[in-house]
Amino acid sequence: MIIIGEKMNGSIPSVAKAIAERNEKRIRSLAKKQTEAGADYLDVCASVEEDVEVETLKWMLDIVQDVSDVPICLDSPSPRTLVKAIPLVKKPGLINSVSLEGDKIDVIFPVIADTKWNCVALLCDDKGIPNSVERRMEVFEGIMAKAKEYGIAPERLFIDPLVVTLSTDETALTTFADCCRRIKEAYPTIHITSGLSNISFGLPARKLINQAFMVLAMNAGMDSAIVDPTNRDMLGMIYAADCLLERDEFCLEFIGAFREGRIGPEQPKE
Amino acid sequence: MSKLQEVAAAVEKGKSKIVAGLVEEALAEGSSAVEILNSMIDAMSVVGEKFQRNEIFVPEMLVAARAMKKGVEPLKPLLADAGAPKAGKVIIGTVAGDLHDIGKNLVAMMIESAGFEVIDLGVDVPAEKFVEAVENDPEVNIVAVSALLTTTMPSMKTVVEALNASPARSRFKIMVGGAPITQEFCDEIGADYYTTDAASAAQKAKEIA
Repeated sequence: MIIIGEKMNGSIPSVAKAIAERNEKRIRSLAKKQTEAGADYLDVCASVEEDVEVETLKWMLDIVQDVSDVPICLDSPSPRTLVKAIPLVKKPGLINSVSLEGDKIDVIFPVIADTKWNCVALLCDDKGIPNSVERRMEVFEGIMAKAKEYGIAPERLFIDPLVVTLSTDETALTTFADCCRRIKEAYPTIHITSGLSNISFGLPARKLINQAFMVLAMNAGMDSAIVDPTNRDMLGMIYAADCLLERDEFCLEFIGAFREGRIGPEQPKE
Repeated sequence: MSKLQEVAAAVEKGKSKIVAGLVEEALAEGSSAVEILNSMIDAMSVVGEKFQRNEIFVPEMLVAARAMKKGVEPLKPLLADAGAPKAGKVIIGTVAGDLHDIGKNLVAMMIESAGFEVIDLGVDVPAEKFVEAVENDPEVNIVAVSALLTTTMPSMKTVVEALNASPARSRFKIMVGGAPITQEFCDEIGADYYTTDAASAAQKAKEIA
C-alpha cells in the first residue's frame, strides 16, 4: 500500500494558521511524524491565494526536505503553480493532481513527460464528478489517451476515481469499487488512490465508515491512499487488509509494522 | 562476520534468496558441508528459542525454515557422499478422526530444521498406519503424534497403546502434542514426551535422539 501523508495541508485550519504565522517548528514536526510513521509520500499543499502560492510552497518544501527524504506529493488545484513548484523539489515525486478539467492535463503532462515524476489523475471533467461508472470510465479513457499522447506509462499514474458522500449517495462505495475493478483490469500496473474524508461526511462515528471503506476499496484494487499515517487504527487496518489480500507475503510487513510500534495496541513506554 | 555466521544470520532472518549463494561461498572458503549444516541447525534453534519467548511470530519461523531448506539443497549431495550421520528419523502424523495439520506441520518443519529426516503421514492417520510405518523402517527413532481436539484425544491413546505393543518399541520414543494435550495425559496414556510448541518439540527431539 502506497501511503500519501495528508497532514501538511493548508486546508486544515491548524496548518493554515502555522503557514500564516510561518511557524517552522509546526511544519517540521508534521513532516517528521509522518516520515516516522512510514509515509511513502508527503503531501504538501499550501491552500493559499494563487499569487502567493509558489512562495508559500517554497517555504514549506524547504522545511520538509530538510527533515525528510520521503518523496514529495506536490498538491495544488492550479496547474501553473505545480509547474512552477516542480523545480523546488529535490527529487521526482508525485503531482497532485490533473483531471480533464480545463487545460490541467495539457499543462502538466508535457512538463513531466520525460521525467520520473508520477501523477495523480482525478476522474472528473468540466462537468464535475460523473455520477455513473460508465461516465467515469469515459473520463478515465480520456486521461489514458492523453497519457499515451505524452508517453506517460500507466505505472506512473495514480488514478483517483473520486469518492462521493455516502450519506447523500448510497452508491458511493459501490460505484468507486466498480471503477477500481475496471481500471485495474484494463491497466494492471496502474495505481489507484483516494482520500477518505468525503465518504463519511454527515455520519456519526466516521472512523468506522472510513475504515470499512478502506478495506473494501483495497479489495477492489485500490493500492494507495491519501491518509494520516499517524492514525494507528487506520494504518493497522491497511496492513491487515494487505495480508488478507495476499499482498504481504508471510505477513512480514504487518509483523514489521507491529514490531516498530506503528500498528496495534500502544505498548507502554519503558 | 565469518561466512558460517553469515549463513546462520541469513537463515535466522529468513533470507531464502541469498542463503544458497552464501552456502556455496562457505564451501569455496573451505568449510565442510557438516559444519555449514550445523551452523544452520544452530540458527534454527535460535529461531525456536525466540519463538518460545514470543519475540517472533509463526510466519517468521516459516521463512527461516524455508531459508534453511534452500541452504541445505547445495549440501545434500555432499552430505550423502560424506555419509554424514543424521540427527535421526521421525514419523509424524495427526490421529484418526482429526484433520488438523497446521500445528503438526510446524512441528515437522522445526524437527526437520533440527537436522532430522521427517516422514509425514498426514492427518486422520489410523493407529495401524503409525505402527506399520515405524516397523517397516528400522531407522525411525521418534514417533510424533498430534491431536487437536478433546474428542480425538482417545484416538491418541489408541495410537500410543498400539505403538507400546509393538516389538520394535525399544528403538523409538513417542512424543505427543496438540492444544488439549497435557503432561498428565501424556503420562496417563504411556507416551514418552510431551512438549507445548514446535520449537520445544524440536529441542526435545534433539535431546532424546
